[in-house]
Amino acid sequence: MKKFTKLFVVLATAVLTLAGCGFPGISGSDQKTIKIAALSTTESSVMANMLAELINHELGYPTTLVSNLGSTTVTHQAMLRGDADISATRYTGTDLTGTLDLPVEKDPKKAGRIVKRVFKQKYHQTWFPSYGFADTYAFMVTKQFAAQHHVSTISQLKPLAPSMAAGVDSSWMNRKGDGYADFKTGYGFDFKRVYPMQIGLVYDAVEAGKMQTVLGYSTDGRIRSYDLTVLKDDKHFFPPYDASMVVSDSLLKQYPKLAPVLHRLDGKISMKTMQELNYQVDDQLKEPSVVAREFLVKHNYFRGGAN
Amino acid sequence: MANMNTWQQFFYYMTTNGSYVLSQFTRHFLISIYGVLIAAVIGIPIGLFIARNRKLSSTIIGIANVIQTIPSLAMLSIIMLGLGLGVNTVIVTVFLYSLLPIIKNTYTGMVSVDPTVIDSAKGMGMTSFQRLYMVEVPLSMSVIMAGIRNALVVAIGITAIGAFVGAGGLGDIIIRGTNATNGGAIILAGALPTALMAIIADLVLGFVQRRLEPKESSH
Repeated sequence: MKKFTKLFVVLATAVLTLAGCGFPGISGSDQKTIKIAALSTTESSVMANMLAELINHELGYPTTLVSNLGSTTVTHQAMLRGDADISATRYTGTDLTGTLDLPVEKDPKKAGRIVKRVFKQKYHQTWFPSYGFADTYAFMVTKQFAAQHHVSTISQLKPLAPSMAAGVDSSWMNRKGDGYADFKTGYGFDFKRVYPMQIGLVYDAVEAGKMQTVLGYSTDGRIRSYDLTVLKDDKHFFPPYDASMVVSDSLLKQYPKLAPVLHRLDGKISMKTMQELNYQVDDQLKEPSVVAREFLVKHNYFRGGAN
Repeated sequence: MANMNTWQQFFYYMTTNGSYVLSQFTRHFLISIYGVLIAAVIGIPIGLFIARNRKLSSTIIGIANVIQTIPSLAMLSIIMLGLGLGVNTVIVTVFLYSLLPIIKNTYTGMVSVDPTVIDSAKGMGMTSFQRLYMVEVPLSMSVIMAGIRNALVVAIGITAIGAFVGAGGLGDIIIRGTNATNGGAIILAGALPTALMAIIADLVLGFVQRRLEPKESSH
């Protein structure tokens, strides 16, 4: 009977503790934690971990990641519901046409201004200045192909296109504004065959020679590991997908010290840097959290302002 | 990395990211434990109650059975509608799945106590509550423990799926592995500790369960 009494006491204490304050030992189960949303991409994961590490290390606030979110729509909903306070990576192009349902804007500065203004008014969220990289769609070819045919821009593919197979992101096929149909009119040529596939597979497809060119993301780490050449979008067909974080205003109000620390990352991560960070995760078997911490330590948490 | 085989990659991954795997391991374990603990706190009294009011037992166990038949991913999504993304959703899911084994085992343990023992307890003038905590619960403790053990092993599996609603844990590592190009080693780095945790939890609770088995009284 002693056992039973003891068990009862233990359980009763446990319940009281749980009722009082979230679940001890698990970050993110109570209201006070700063919740950072990340997409399921490597890039988003690295950036979310970087924000968490920056906030933890510099300010000591508890943070937690809400990771593996499927799309920007899910992230946006999570922000609106309060499941997340910070979106680690948001892209101007995606939010402009997707979340806000506005027409495509091809000038990066203008696009940035629009999303910033509308998010502030409509959702009370602050759109931070870009990290310094854009994760845009880009056509890429192998280095040998580029050298052999002397191509460095998309326009130069025109004479070769009738004999080329292209692998593209399946969601790109039916996109309005910057999708396949508009591409054909915009650049004035079509490939011999276009294979819609999952975005993660395109890099392998071009590397293996199954496709002559593929449409991938410009910051992917595999561009570096496979030594691919990214073709210049010389007609500025693809709208800008400048990456920024989006933070809810109520969080910034609650923690006034937060904004200056988060602003330290403004413009600090170039496309090459992001490719490198993605490469470390995708190719070097490092966890995003490890890569993010190493990067911040290397730059001394950007304490000195400019670096 | 391409020149290493999967196992070499696995060990390389573990040495590079060891502390990260450990932190996810702890998180995973705590999520499972909390879910099961709440289920025990609520499920054991329910089990005791329906053992005393047997008419209710088929209804209550029926409800718990229905909960159990919902596929875990569907359950997570349903609860997500109410609780949103994050760790609390997973804890509630684990809690719901743990109810059935705990309630059922508590009930079974109580019902299978030898009626003659209860009669002699009555004969000694014990009150209903004294009978409960001096005779019936100690005698059914090992069966109740078996229910908790069962629930915890299932919970560890469900928590792995919880990574889909952003709760973290070892499932996070598995999902990352499935997204990576050559993610075999990363998948193993998430899956092996999960399996290991389930096995260890089973062994430890199995040991506790055997310790709680009623001993033949020495006359």
